[in-house]
Amino acid sequence: MKYIDILERQLGRKATKAEIEAFTVMWSEHCGYSHTKGYIRQLPRVGFGGNAGIVSLDDYHFIAFKVESHNHPSAIEPFNGAATGVGGIIRDILAMGARPTAILDSLHMDKITEGIIDGISDYGNSIGVPTVGGELRISDYYKYNPLVNVMAVGVGRNEHLIPSTAQKPGQVIVIFGGATGRDGIHGASFASEDLTGEKATKLSIQVGDPFAEKMLIEAFLEMVEEGLVEGAQDLGAGGVLSATSELVAKANLGAIVHLDRMPLREPDMNPVEILISESQERMAVVTSAEKANRVIEIARRHLLFADIVVEVTETGRYVAKYNDETVIDVPAKLLEESPEERTYGYRPVEMPKFNWIKFKNVDAHEIFERYDYMVGTDTVVRPGYGPAVMRVKSSGGYSLVIHSRADLGLQEPYWAAYITLLECVRKTLSIGARPLAVTDGINYADPDVQPEGLAAQMKGLKDACEFANVPVASGNASLYNTYKGNGIPPTLVIGMIGKLENLNVPRPRKSAIYAIGFKDFKLEREKLLWNEIERIAKAGYFVVSMHDFSTMSTLKQELQKTGLDMKVKSPKCEPVHQLIMVFGDVDTKLPKELIGYCN
Amino acid sequence: MTASFPKAQVVVYPGSNCDRDALWALRYVGFDAEFVDIRSHIGSDVNLLVLPGGFSYGDYLRVGAVAAREPISSEIRDFMSRGGLIIGICNGFQILIEMGILPGALLQNSTGKFICKIVDLEVVDNETPFTRYFERGERIRLPIAHGFGRYVKTNGLVNSQDNVVFRYAQDVNGSDELIAGISNENKNVLGLMPHPERAIEKLIGSDDGLRVFLSAFNYIKTSSENMLEKTKVGVA
Repeated sequence: MKYIDILERQLGRKATKAEIEAFTVMWSEHCGYSHTKGYIRQLPRVGFGGNAGIVSLDDYHFIAFKVESHNHPSAIEPFNGAATGVGGIIRDILAMGARPTAILDSLHMDKITEGIIDGISDYGNSIGVPTVGGELRISDYYKYNPLVNVMAVGVGRNEHLIPSTAQKPGQVIVIFGGATGRDGIHGASFASEDLTGEKATKLSIQVGDPFAEKMLIEAFLEMVEEGLVEGAQDLGAGGVLSATSELVAKANLGAIVHLDRMPLREPDMNPVEILISESQERMAVVTSAEKANRVIEIARRHLLFADIVVEVTETGRYVAKYNDETVIDVPAKLLEESPEERTYGYRPVEMPKFNWIKFKNVDAHEIFERYDYMVGTDTVVRPGYGPAVMRVKSSGGYSLVIHSRADLGLQEPYWAAYITLLECVRKTLSIGARPLAVTDGINYADPDVQPEGLAAQMKGLKDACEFANVPVASGNASLYNTYKGNGIPPTLVIGMIGKLENLNVPRPRKSAIYAIGFKDFKLEREKLLWNEIERIAKAGYFVVSMHDFSTMSTLKQELQKTGLDMKVKSPKCEPVHQLIMVFGDVDTKLPKELIGYCN
Repeated sequence: MTASFPKAQVVVYPGSNCDRDALWALRYVGFDAEFVDIRSHIGSDVNLLVLPGGFSYGDYLRVGAVAAREPISSEIRDFMSRGGLIIGICNGFQILIEMGILPGALLQNSTGKFICKIVDLEVVDNETPFTRYFERGERIRLPIAHGFGRYVKTNGLVNSQDNVVFRYAQDVNGSDELIAGISNENKNVLGLMPHPERAIEKLIGSDDGLRVFLSAFNYIKTSSENMLEKTKVGVA
C-alpha cells in the first residue's frame, strides 16, 4: 500500500490486514483525489461537494450534473467497463434527488471500439435515459488507454434536493439494489495505477445490470417523492465502505455496519470483500428508523434487495462488523482524509504557436444512432449539430456541451485547458443559451512523473473559469492513464450546462454561409466574439462553433437528413482561432467572409 | 349526463421506459390517462390501453417474453375481447406478439445493432381506430428506437392474414415486406415498432404521431356518443 507509513502513524499502531485493504481503496487516487484535491480547492465553485454538482434552473427546478471517467475498466473489458461507467454516473445524479434526463459521452480511442459503443448503448438505452450528445476523437495516442468519460444530467424539484450526508445519531442507512458479488473488488485501486499494474485483472471490472439500474432509479425516486430519503450516496468505487463512511464522516458522525446483512450473489465472500466490492446498481439511503421499513418495502416492490445495514452513531468511529466479529474499527474521518500530495505552482506563459495535430475525422452518426437519444421526449436538438438542447416539460430548457482539446494538451496544457473552456462558452452561446456552470473531467498520465503538466492544466481551467465567470460544480480525475509507463496527452474534458429562455433555437436553413471572426486568437477579443455569437444566435441565425472546420462530416450528414446540402470551402485558420460559421447574411463588426451555401 | 373524457391506462411493466412519454402524449390529446401497475387492475371504464416501449425485465430472456406472462395478461385479453382499444409500441408490440394477440415475430435488426432515428413510413390502412386521421398511402415521419424490430411473418402458424397498418418507406431493420405496424383482424389492437408518442410536438422533431392518439380519441368519443344516441332512441 502506497501510504502505509502515514496510515500507521495516524493509527498509532500497526495496521491490520483488513485496514490495509480498506485504506488501499479509500486512499487510492480514484477515491481520495490525493493529487488533485489541492487544485480543485482553488477553482471557483458552485453547488459543489455532493454526489453531483447542483445549479438552479428556475424557481422550482435544480439541475444535477457531473462527468466521470471509466477509462481503466474500458481498456480491459470494453463492454462492461463502458456500461458501468454510464451506470455509476447516473446513480450520482439520482442520489441528489434528480431524475436522470440526459447522458453525453466523450470518447477518445484509436479506432471505434465496438465493445465501448455497445456497452454505452446497451446500458443507456435500457435504463431509458437518452444519450443526447458527445464527442468522438480518434487517435493513436489512445491505443492502450482509451478514455471513456460520461456526463450525466438530471432535473429535480427544489424540495427534493437530497444531501450527501447523514445528519444525526439514530438515523439508519438502508442499502438497496442488486446483490453483492466479487466483481469490481479493488476497482478503485486498479483505476489508480498503470494498466499493467497488479490489479489489472478482469476481477476488478464491475459488471452491469441495466434492468436493476432502471428499477433502482424508479424505486429511489419513489422514496424521494414520499419524503423518506434524508441523505443518499450511490455505491460506486469503494462500495459499501466508501458510500457509508462518506455519509457519516461528512457530518462528524460514526457508523456500525452490519456486513452480514448484505445480500450476496456469491455466498462464500469474506467480510472484507463484502465491504469493498464494487458490485453495481446499489444505493445507500439515510433515513429514520421509522421510515426504514417503507424504504425496504418500496425497494422490494421494485424487485430489489434491501436491508438496514448501518446504524449512525455519535462516536465518530467507523465500525464494520460481521455478526459479532469486528472487521475494522477506525475513525470515520480518517477514511475520508486521504493524504494530500503537494501541488505545484504554475506561472502561465504567453500562448505558444500551436501546430495542427489532426485527429481522425469520423461521421458520428454510426455511433449516436445506436443510442436512444429521444426517450423522455425532451430532446429538442438531436445529436449531430454540436450542443444538445433539452427542455423541462412545463418549464424552460438547458443546453449541454462536452468538449476537449487533447491536440492542444499535447503541446501546452495550460492554454489547452483555457481554450477548451472558452470554446465551451462559444458553443453554449451559439444555440442561444447562457453558460451556468461546468463539470471537469481530468484525464492525465502519471502525476508523479509529470506533475507540472497537471498543475498547468488545473491553473488553465481556473483562470479560464474566472475569465468567463463560469464556476465549476463538479468534477472527476482519472490519473495514471499509462501503459508500460507511456501516457496519454493531457486531456481535460469539460461539460457545460447553459440555460435557455427560448426553446425556439436557431435551425439551419437554405442560405449563404459566412465565416465570421478571426483566424487566429487573441484573448482580449474573446468577449467581443461572445457578444457577437449571442447577438447573432438571438437574431435566429444558425451558428456553428467548432475548433476544426476541416472535419465537418457529421454536420454535413445531419443537414442532409433534413434535406439540406451544405457546400462550403472550409476557412483556413490556426488550431486556436476565433472563427464561427453563420448560416445567413448577418451584419457584424467582425471580419466576415462568404465561404459557401446551404441549399 | 355529462360526457366524460375517454379514459386510457398505460401498463407499466418492470423495465418499461416510455411509460411517462406515453402518458404525456395521451394527456396532451385530452385522454383522462393514468398508469396501471402489473399488480393492479385494468379499470372497467377504460377505453384505451397502451403497452409502452422499454426493456421489460431487461429483455433478458427474449424481448417481451417475461412481461407477456404476467397475470395482467389475462386482463388484457379480456379487455381486447370486450372490444377495448390497445396500442403496443415497440416493447409493447413485442409483448403483444409474445402474448399471441398479434401474429408474427420480432427478431434482431438485420444490422445486429440498435437503431435510433426518425424514419419515413407509409400509412397502409387508414380504417383502423388508430389511423382514421391519416390518408391512405400518406407518408409520415416517426422515430424508431429498437434493437429487435425486424418483423417476420409467421402466417402459416396463426392461420390468419397479417393486417399491415404501417410500412417503412425504405428498409431499416430487415422486416418482411417493410412491415412496421400491424393490427389484429378486429382492428382494435395495433402493434408498431415506431414511436408515435415521441412525435406529438414539432418542437421535438415531428408531430405525425399525434394523429394516432387523436384518431383513437375521436373514435372513442364518437362511438360512445353513438352508443348514447342508440340508448336514447331505445328509451324513446
